[in-house]
Amino acid sequence: MAAVRAACVALAIIGSGAPAAIAAQPPEPQDEFRPVGNNPAPEQIPAAPLLIGAYIVVLGGLFAYVVSLSRRLGAVRHDVERLEGELKRRGR
Amino acid sequence: MPKWFNPAAILCGLMFVVSPVLIARAPDESSMGMVYKIYYYHMPSAWMFLLAPLVCGASSALFLARGRPEDDRRAWAAAELTVLFGALTLITGPLWARRAWGTWWVWDARLTSSLVGWMIGWAYLILRRYGGPGSDKLAAGVALFGAVNVPFIYISVNYWRTIHPPTTVVPRLPVEMGVPLWFCVFAFLLLFVLLMTMRLRLEETRTRLDGLYVALDE
Repeated sequence: MAAVRAACVALAIIGSGAPAAIAAQPPEPQDEFRPVGNNPAPEQIPAAPLLIGAYIVVLGGLFAYVVSLSRRLGAVRHDVERLEGELKRRGR
Repeated sequence: MPKWFNPAAILCGLMFVVSPVLIARAPDESSMGMVYKIYYYHMPSAWMFLLAPLVCGASSALFLARGRPEDDRRAWAAAELTVLFGALTLITGPLWARRAWGTWWVWDARLTSSLVGWMIGWAYLILRRYGGPGSDKLAAGVALFGAVNVPFIYISVNYWRTIHPPTTVVPRLPVEMGVPLWFCVFAFLLLFVLLMTMRLRLEETRTRLDGLYVALDE
């Protein structure tokens, strides 16, 4: 009897949470991109700073990585040349 | 560097100079407006973010099977690119989402699995940096998890409910939007190959340096 009562309580709790769970579902995704027509919708959040920010992040990030890679490569090559010179001086 | 490297680097640079012109000429999207144009760099970054862990995982599997150092070096280079392109994807995505969805982030399957994939890339690099002896094989095991996560990231938008656009938007793009996108994809792919080549050369030179230190000590 206690088990039946516990099951009923559990079902009631789950049932009461279901509408909230359904309401919390994200809206339907956009499954197609279409070009804007002649009457574009007014903007609520300005797009330009976000767009420019995104391009600065990508181009800046890639540039910074290329510079970092070139510097690391340059430093290691310098060490290789130094050690090769050292080995030559020792006659090996 | 190989002979093709400099011409390919010039071509890649030119493609990145031309791409903003093509993107500026592309039309805005009907419901998102101008902010949709983040897509032209976000999507290619995301594809490279999926490609890098696959290269890392495949190279790590080969390293575990054959034990050749060149496979390990390729895996390490790809892990660094996983972190780089993952960062670009995970920053540009929220910038787009803020305007398109009204929020910076949602904990849906696509975004969460992408974040996990990026953290696996970091885990690989941290293991290699601080793991000590034997960390190469341990990191190779981590890389396998990173590669297995890639198909999950890709299909997540088609199987779980999310506000992230599904994979079907790409083949349905009209020509005026598709041409700049594919141009950017090829530019990013070329850049990926160039960065992999540079990063591999760095590891090869480091290996040579280690050999020279050993020869000097003897």
